[in-house]
Amino acid sequence: MTTTAEPVSNPTLSNVADDAPTGGPVDRIYRFFRGIPSLVLWLIVAVWTLPTLGLFVNSWRGRDSQRSTGWWQVRPSDLTADNYDQIRTARQGLGASLLNTAAIAIPATIIPIAFATFAAYGFAWIDFKGRKPLFIATVALLAIPLQVALIPLLQLWVGGAKVTLPIIDKTVTLLPDLDLAGTAAAAWLTHIGFAMPFAIFLLHNYISSLPKDLFEAARIDGAAHFTIFWRLVLPLSVPVLAAFAIFQFLWTWNDYLIANTMIGANPDAQPTTVLIANLAGDFGRNENILPAAAFVQAFIPLLVFFALQRYFVRGLLAGSVKG
Amino acid sequence: MAEVPVKADPMGAGDDVGDDPLGGRAGRGRKIAQVALGAVVVVALAVWAILEPKIWSTIVTVVVSVIATGGLWVLANLLFNQVRNQWLRFSALAFGGLGALLGIVLHGNGVTVGSGGGFLTWILGPLVGALAFGAVGVAMAINDDPSQRRAIAVGSSLAIGLAIALLIRSDYHPALDPVAIAVSTALGVAIGAGLSALRRRSPLGGALIGGALGWVFGAWGGADLGDGTIVESIIATLVPAVLIGVRLAMTKNPDYRARAAIDEKSRAVIFIGPALAFITVMLVIPTIRTMYLSILGRDSESFVGWDNYTDIFSNSNSFDTSNWTNMFTSIPFILGVVLLAIAVVVGIKMKQQTGRAVEIGNPTTGPLVVGLFLLSFGVFTALRGTLINNLWWVAVVTFLSTALGLAVAVLADQRRGERVAKSLIFMPMAISLVGASIIWRFMYRAQDTSREQTGVMNAAWVGLGRLSTGSGLPTLIVTVVSGLILLGLLVLLANALVKRQWARASLPAIGAFLVGWFFVRFAGIIGGGIGGFTVLPDGSTAPETILFVQETPYNNFWLMVILIWIQTGFAMVILSAAIKAVSTELIEAAKIDGATDSQVFWRVTLPQIGTTIGVVVTTLIVLVMKVFDIVKVVTNGQFGTQVLANNMFDEAFNRRNTGLGAALAILIFASVLPVMYYNVRRMQREN
Repeated sequence: MTTTAEPVSNPTLSNVADDAPTGGPVDRIYRFFRGIPSLVLWLIVAVWTLPTLGLFVNSWRGRDSQRSTGWWQVRPSDLTADNYDQIRTARQGLGASLLNTAAIAIPATIIPIAFATFAAYGFAWIDFKGRKPLFIATVALLAIPLQVALIPLLQLWVGGAKVTLPIIDKTVTLLPDLDLAGTAAAAWLTHIGFAMPFAIFLLHNYISSLPKDLFEAARIDGAAHFTIFWRLVLPLSVPVLAAFAIFQFLWTWNDYLIANTMIGANPDAQPTTVLIANLAGDFGRNENILPAAAFVQAFIPLLVFFALQRYFVRGLLAGSVKG
Repeated sequence: MAEVPVKADPMGAGDDVGDDPLGGRAGRGRKIAQVALGAVVVVALAVWAILEPKIWSTIVTVVVSVIATGGLWVLANLLFNQVRNQWLRFSALAFGGLGALLGIVLHGNGVTVGSGGGFLTWILGPLVGALAFGAVGVAMAINDDPSQRRAIAVGSSLAIGLAIALLIRSDYHPALDPVAIAVSTALGVAIGAGLSALRRRSPLGGALIGGALGWVFGAWGGADLGDGTIVESIIATLVPAVLIGVRLAMTKNPDYRARAAIDEKSRAVIFIGPALAFITVMLVIPTIRTMYLSILGRDSESFVGWDNYTDIFSNSNSFDTSNWTNMFTSIPFILGVVLLAIAVVVGIKMKQQTGRAVEIGNPTTGPLVVGLFLLSFGVFTALRGTLINNLWWVAVVTFLSTALGLAVAVLADQRRGERVAKSLIFMPMAISLVGASIIWRFMYRAQDTSREQTGVMNAAWVGLGRLSTGSGLPTLIVTVVSGLILLGLLVLLANALVKRQWARASLPAIGAFLVGWFFVRFAGIIGGGIGGFTVLPDGSTAPETILFVQETPYNNFWLMVILIWIQTGFAMVILSAAIKAVSTELIEAAKIDGATDSQVFWRVTLPQIGTTIGVVVTTLIVLVMKVFDIVKVVTNGQFGTQVLANNMFDEAFNRRNTGLGAALAILIFASVLPVMYYNVRRMQREN
C-alpha cells in the first residue's frame, strides 16, 4: 500500500467533506455537501422501505380506492378489512394454504438439522482417509442449481425408481412408488436434499472452530465420539443450529419453485406462495386482494426476521452461500 | 464460500453493543421484553398449529421420523462403543443385529414358513435370526485358533444357508436363470475385487462378498418366483451363504489397535453416512440422470444426442443477434465507451507513476468497472433472447447489488441510526420472491393516461413530466434549486482542476454530469422537458406512462430491480461485517502516515475486503443464474423477458418436453460450474 503516493481519486462522498480545505466560499459549498452522505443513506432506506409500505397500506384499501388513487393518497375513510375477509373466505382459502406451507416448512427445517450436525461433526473431528476431498466435494454441491435435479426428483415421487438391467432385461425397483406426488412430503424431502450441503457447510464452519483442547482432553479421558458429540458439541452448537434453523425456515416458507413443481398440480396441498402466484396470474381479476394475501404470506417470515435477526445475520455470515 | 472474517459484532455500530449483531444498545429490560413477546407468539402459533389436524399430523410425522432415525443412529453408536473393550459383546450384538434384520426381511415379508401370524411374525423371525447369528458371533469372538474359526464359519454358514432355503415357502422358490446368475455373479466378483484392490486389500475377500451378493441378486432378483423347486431354492441360497462363510473364515479376531481403527472408521460412516446418502439420492443421482435425460427426446424414449442443445442454441428465442447494431445507439453503451476511454488514459498514467495500471483501489478501477458494466448493459439491450437475458441478469444484479451493498455498508458505518437503516434495507431478504414480485407489480402499474396513476413509479414519472412542462412556482423552484446545486458542483470541480487535484475533481465531475443532465433536460434547454409526457399535434402536452413490465428490452431491467432490491441487503450485511473486521491498527497506522479517510477506504479497506467481495459476487452469480420466481410471476417470460430457469420449467412441466427441459437445466448447471471450480480452489487454498 503506497499511502504516500499522490492524492487518490474517487473519494467517497463522506470524505469530500473531510478533505475540505478551510476558509473561503469553496469551503462553504463543501460544507453544504457534507450532509449528503446521511441524506443519501436515508434516501436509500426510504426507497427500500416504500414498496413494502405501499403494499401494506393498499392491503387495507378497498377495490375501488386501490384502482382510483395511489396508496400515498390514503384517507382514513378508505380503510377497510374487506380484502382480508375476502382471502379468508376464498374458494381455496389462504388459511388452508398457510397450513400447507407450515406442513412443508416444519419438517424441511427440523429434519436436516440432525443429519447435517452428525456430518458436520464427522467432517470436523473424525479422522478418516479422504476426509478433505469428500468435504470439499460435498460443499461444492452448494452451487448446484435446483433445476438440475427437479425432473428426476419429480419422476421419483410420481413413480418410484426403477432400473431396467441390460443383458438379463429385468426391471428392478430401487424405490417403490410411495405415492408422494402432490404431497407436502415430496416438497420437504426435496428441500432436505438441497439443504444438506449448505447445512453441513454452515455447521462445519462452527463446529470445526471449537477449541481443539476440548476434544483432546475428552479423548484422553477415553470418551467416544458419540459421547463427545452428545455431551460437548451439541450443547455448544445451539447458536449455530438456531441460525441454520431460521435460515432454512425462511427459505422453505418462501420457496416457490420446489412447491410449484412438486405440489403445483394438487390445489389441496398448495402452499401460500403457489396460491398467490396463481392469483397474480389471473390478469387483474383478483388484484385487490393480492396485497393482503402477500402480506399475510410475509407476516411470519417478517416476524421471525425481526425477532431473530441476530441469528439470521450470524448464519448469513458463517456460510454466505445458499445453493 | 469462504468464511467471512467476522468480529463478534458484525452489524454493530460501536464497541459497547454486546453481541447484538445489529448494534443496538438494547438494555436488559428490553431484551427480556423481546424474549417474552417471542415466547407468547411462539406459544400462540403452537396452540393454533396443534389444533389444526394438518399441522398436528405433520408434527407427528416429524417427531416419529426424527425419533426413529435418531434412535437408529444412537443404537449404531452404542453398538460401536463396544468395539474397543468389549469385542465379544460387540461381535454377538453385531451378528445378532444382522440376523434380526434378515429375519425381519424374510419373515416380515411372508417369505418363510410360519410367517403371516400377525404381530408375532414381526417378533419371531427377527428373534430366531438374532439368536442364530448371535451364536455365530459369540463363537467367532471367543475362538482365536484359525482352524477352529474356519470350521465354525463354514459350518455355520452351511447350516444357516440350508435352513433358510428349507424354510422358504414353496411359492417363493425361484426358477433359476443360469445366464443371469453367471453374469450377475461375475459382475459382483469384479466389483468386489476391484473395490478391495482400490483399498489396497487382498482382492479375494471383496471378490467373495461381491460374488455372494451377485449370486443372490442373479438368482432371486430377476427370477420368476414360485416356478422353481426346492433344489433350486437351496442352490440359490446355499452358494452365497458358503461364500460369505469362507470370507468370514479368512478373518481373525482383531487386536486392540485394529479394534481402535474399526471404532474410528465406523464412526466416520455413522456420522457422515446419513447425510451423504441424502445428498447422493437427492442431488448427485438426479443430476446425473438429468444429464442422461437431456440427450433423450421429449418422452425420454428415443436417443437424440445433442439435438436438444442445438435446438436451444439455434432457436432465435434463446439467441437473437439480428438487431446487434442497435447497441451503438444505446446511451449506456456510449457512456461505457467514454468511461473506458477515461480508464485507459488513467491507466496509462498510473502505469507510469506506480508501475501498475490496474489494482484494487487505484484510480483506474472505478471508470474501468463502471465502464465495462455500462458497455455490457448496452450490448445486452441490443442482443436479445433467453441466454442473453440470463447473462444480462447476472451482470446487472451482481454488479448493482454488490455496489449498492458496499455503498450502504460504507455510508451507514459508524453513523447515527446504523441499526435501523441496515435493518430496513435488509428486510426484503425475509420476503419471498413471489411476494416481492407482487409488491413491485404494484410499483410498476400503469393506468390509462386519462386516469390518475396508482403505481408509484408512473405517478412520479408523470408528475415529473407535468412539473417539467408546467410553468408554475414548483417548476421554477426545482429549476432554480437544481441550477444552484449544479453551480456549486461546478465551482468545486473548477477549484479542484485549478489546483490540479485530480482525485478531488472526480466526484464533483460525476455529480455535475448527472445534475447537469437533469437540469438541462428539466429546464427544456435540450428536448423540451423530462418525465412522462407527450407533445400533441396542437402543441399542448398530455401525460404518458412507461409500461415498465411490457416495454422490451428495458422491462428486463425493471425485473432485475426486484432482485437487486432483495439482494442488496445480503451484500450489505456481508460487506459490512468485513469492513468492521478490517484491523483498526492498520487503519490508524495509515492515518498517522497522513492518509485521508478516502485514501484509507480505497487503499486500505477495499483491498482488505477483496476476498469478501469475491464471496458476495460468486454467491450472487449462482443465485441470479437460476432466477425464476420473479420472471414467472411478473411476466411469465413474455415481452422478451424469458430466462433459462423459467424456460426450463415451461418445457419440462407445462409442455412435457422432458428432453429439452433437462438440457436447459444442464445449461444452467454448466454456467455455474466455473463458480463451483473457483469455490473449490479457494477452499483447497484455505485448508
